[in-house]
Amino acid sequence: MEAIADTSFLVDWARFSHRDLLFRVFRVVWIPEDVLNEVQSERTLMWIADRLASGDMSLFPLLPEYRDRALRLVELSRRGPTRGLDFPEAYCIAVAEDRGYIALSENGAAYAAQFLYTTARVWRAYEVLWELRSRGLVPDDAIFTYQEETKHKFPQRDIQRWRDCRS
Amino acid sequence: MEEHLKDREREARELRRREADWNYINSLPPRLRAALVFYIETGDLYVAAKIAGLRVEEFNELRIRAGIPHVN
Amino acid sequence: MERLQELIDREREARELRRREADWNYINSLPPRVRAAIKLFIETGNLRLSQKVSGLGLEEFVEHLRRANVWVT
Repeated sequence: MEAIADTSFLVDWARFSHRDLLFRVFRVVWIPEDVLNEVQSERTLMWIADRLASGDMSLFPLLPEYRDRALRLVELSRRGPTRGLDFPEAYCIAVAEDRGYIALSENGAAYAAQFLYTTARVWRAYEVLWELRSRGLVPDDAIFTYQEETKHKFPQRDIQRWRDCRS
Repeated sequence: MEEHLKDREREARELRRREADWNYINSLPPRLRAALVFYIETGDLYVAAKIAGLRVEEFNELRIRAGIPHVN
Repeated sequence: MERLQELIDREREARELRRREADWNYINSLPPRVRAAIKLFIETGNLRLSQKVSGLGLEEFVEHLRRANVWVT
């Protein structure tokens, strides 16, 4: 599997002590150039630079065909009852749609998009952790470790679902 | 042939690491530092420039100031 | 339809969580622009719009959200 990552995913995931397990799930994680430009902290930058050097991550350019599709997705999202997409995550979804990647984003609008107006799959850190647990690569309490280390909080219904499916 | 190319890459990387002015590199802001470290490891000027947020020519000047050789 | 309702419920719950858990002492100590941006985020959950209002880089803005106990969902 390959993925394309939005900044909202990366800035949290980079703080996770097991962040490199991401590459046990995805052969390559693509980083749009605009996303790279949004990253500022040393921790996240150094991690991305290391992973670019190793080939686990790769830069994805801004291409007109995906840019146009991303704008279309933004338009579609503004018509619905849920939150609208912004361009950077819409771009990730446009690429994911076409190339069969998983789009990685913590943005609620991106998560909703996969059920409403795109065939792309969108994973949050929650889905990545779920996949890691199903492969036996993280323990049952990984979701709580993730919350603590990244200061990212999962919705209560997702925590309950995690608990209901203990390994 | 592949082994030969890998050896050349390894030698180039070691040369870049050895020649680099690490005092200068470590004095720089995170984005530039990350880009130079990436360049030392890979020799990839284009992506390093993207990490730095610079044009290729600007990054190349930074590379030179940091004492990192361009190894063919 | 069921899925759409679930998504709407998720957004409502996320907004309530953001309102409930926000550290208003911290938020009110911030410069006006950042404070306004965080309030906008609490109400809408729109990360990039709020970030643009803040005038900060995305990562810097997310750091303020963390410190303010306001979750990105």
